[in-house]
Amino acid sequence: MNLEKTLFDTYGFTSFRPGQKEVIEKILGGQDVIALLPTGMGKSMCYQLPAHLMEGSVLVVSPLLSLMQDQVAQLKKMGEKSVAAINSFLDPAERSNILHNLNTYRFIFISPEMLVQPYIKNKLMGLNISLLVADEAHCISQWGFDFRPDYLRIAEIMPALGHPRVLALTATATAKVTEEIKQYLKLSEPFIYTHPMDRKNIAYDIKKFENGKEKLEWLSTFVAANKGPGIIYAGTRKKSQELSNLLSLSGIRTAFYHGGMEHQDRIFVQQQFQNGELEWVCSTNAFGMGVHIPDIGHVIHFQVPTSIEGYVQEVGRAGRNGDPALATLLYAAGDEDLLANLVLDDLPTNHEIREVYQNEGDPAQLVDQGIVRETSLRVISYWKNHLSEQDTIIQIAQQKNEKIKQSAKIRKLINLESCVREYVLECFDQQLHIKPENCCINDHLNFADFLTHRETVDIQVLDTWESRLNAILPC
Amino acid sequence: MLFEDILITILKAVDGERTISSPYHLIKGKKSGQTIQDIGYYKLHPYFGVMPKLEKKVYDKAVQKLFEQGFIITDGQVVRMTEASMALQTPVPLLNGWKYRGKEQLFMARLSLIVQSLSQIHQNQRAFDPVVIAEDIQQWVKKYLHKINYRDAESCRNFKTELAVSLSKVDVDAAGKRIVVQRLSGFKIGGLTWEQIAAAERLEVIDIKLQAIETLHAWMDVLETRQFPMMSELLDGVIQQSSLTETARRTEYYFRNGRSLEEIAALRGLKTSTIEDHFVELAMNDPGFDILAFMDGSLYSKIIAVSHSRNTKRLRDIKEAIPEAGYFQIRLALATKGETL
Repeated sequence: MNLEKTLFDTYGFTSFRPGQKEVIEKILGGQDVIALLPTGMGKSMCYQLPAHLMEGSVLVVSPLLSLMQDQVAQLKKMGEKSVAAINSFLDPAERSNILHNLNTYRFIFISPEMLVQPYIKNKLMGLNISLLVADEAHCISQWGFDFRPDYLRIAEIMPALGHPRVLALTATATAKVTEEIKQYLKLSEPFIYTHPMDRKNIAYDIKKFENGKEKLEWLSTFVAANKGPGIIYAGTRKKSQELSNLLSLSGIRTAFYHGGMEHQDRIFVQQQFQNGELEWVCSTNAFGMGVHIPDIGHVIHFQVPTSIEGYVQEVGRAGRNGDPALATLLYAAGDEDLLANLVLDDLPTNHEIREVYQNEGDPAQLVDQGIVRETSLRVISYWKNHLSEQDTIIQIAQQKNEKIKQSAKIRKLINLESCVREYVLECFDQQLHIKPENCCINDHLNFADFLTHRETVDIQVLDTWESRLNAILPC
Repeated sequence: MLFEDILITILKAVDGERTISSPYHLIKGKKSGQTIQDIGYYKLHPYFGVMPKLEKKVYDKAVQKLFEQGFIITDGQVVRMTEASMALQTPVPLLNGWKYRGKEQLFMARLSLIVQSLSQIHQNQRAFDPVVIAEDIQQWVKKYLHKINYRDAESCRNFKTELAVSLSKVDVDAAGKRIVVQRLSGFKIGGLTWEQIAAAERLEVIDIKLQAIETLHAWMDVLETRQFPMMSELLDGVIQQSSLTETARRTEYYFRNGRSLEEIAALRGLKTSTIEDHFVELAMNDPGFDILAFMDGSLYSKIIAVSHSRNTKRLRDIKEAIPEAGYFQIRLALATKGETL
């Protein structure tokens, strides 16, 4: 079989990107695959193409609604018409329509919690599923930085689906997490594809300041002098907003982006950034998925990230086009306190665990009354079905320890005196073979190669609605 | 119209007879008997459900400001206007929340996707990220675009002309129209976020959102005249056929089939008080509602007279004056107030 021909005939691409062909061949050969591919390396092609070469449907389990929506949109943009998405946001009519015609879709996206609903499970059992894709598979790992207990349910449904082939996809996974993916999905002899994590065109800089004020001054000066486009990552929604407002005041075209904004506004910020109408986006870690911008030259972490995995994912949004890009991590004395808070904040407290275990009514009430946070409830509800109260407390305590370890890794990064690139790779159990000329702040970095002088732009005067309409529809 | 104007207008209407949270329920579109009947009593139709997602903390902040400015004071449970606020002139609203029920969002979503599609396609962009991802709206727009023969430059021009001419007929100021058009996007032009618009207009986000909604309501009113065939099509399914809530409609159905109030409650497994709420809603909405099925004409006249002479709509006050009237009868009578029997 000529895979290149199928690729060209189906999508118009003349060649595969690194890793894609190997993964696809193994899938078609009937093997389970765990693929570690950095974001932007065409992960989805690994199941898209096989879908055209196998009988039946491809079932993609996707943990995040926004991610699912983006993937469906991308698939449609590439001309795939036979795509359905099942998630809790469907209205009843849409849902019944999709479920009624389920066997006609080539791609079915589903959220993990829908997967185990008896009615839907029954529907799925009647299908011929050729491939089950666990997207963002690191979410299955309770040690991972993004653990989603619902994800463990994939294993529960496998027998009902007749044990289809499995493709587990993730952009970031340590050896430990890969092992867990294998174990939880019950993959006995999977083919494991690991793409080198290292991105040669990205150089690492770490800047330290005496206090927050100095840090802020550096940022203002830097973005006023140097050309974007770039992303400034902040630790909290509030901070992203503050930074954006501050930079706007000095004439920088910037906007903030976080998960608390309404969906339409988030799309608008993405549009503006994609169009080059914005120089910088100040954002929480919510920004990234669904953003396909190749020429991002800078990623600045204004506050220390909470895990190396998260850091690498965010940094990886720079330089997709292969041009030199700079990752700058800013640190001010005392930031580690903030880090500690951020890291432990999203774990359920013992108090919350007790409340959920002792609650006999609708647990959602606990959220409404402000006794238990929604994220906590999600995690605890899962464990309540599997473990005793005491064991859950132990479970969460272990996760807490793991998170503390993760933040220790970040702390080490900040105080590193050796090569940053080597250290980051080490965290993923990979070794650095070839060092690029511009490596990192501790091992040769010529800033001139990354900085372009910024031309100041005139702040736009308010358009009339007529002139804006003419610009949008020049027909 | 600013958010503050809405609050003052509503609070003026219910002056001294409702709590400070009544405008909140009204603006959010709460479908409780109390809220629905207040709309009729106080003629507050324009404001019903104009902001279904209004956050309590945003509302509280706006209310707090009114207190601080000395525009309102609390008096026990209820809230009262002051001399300062009574003297304020608020603009006449072009809102019509009761009629549109938040459906302006559907209109706007369709419009956004049509405009974006035309913009991209007529500038030779075949693939683009749709600004609206809801599947049903995408399907609707796809059909619409085929119907208007969207690839045709002439058709694009006609659409744009209808859009521009109909919008220019909308009786809001330029800011309102600018806001709506800033929420549209196209090739190389992104839509603006509420925060961005608010910063440029030097207003609060909530005021910007309200102006957008008011502009859309007024625009849909213009389109309803059917002088703009391409644009009017966007109203498909947007305007509610009946202004009754779904549940009241069901009660109406049983009532028309000769069932009594008690029978309906039993049939539907609802409390009689809930069914009473429905009847109040019916009385308010249906000019042909037969109030004499629930009280004789003299009692009705008495209730109306007391409400007028004492200038009150508080049930307790009226009940005190006419002990023989039931609370349900008073509510029904007030709901039809102004209509001649």
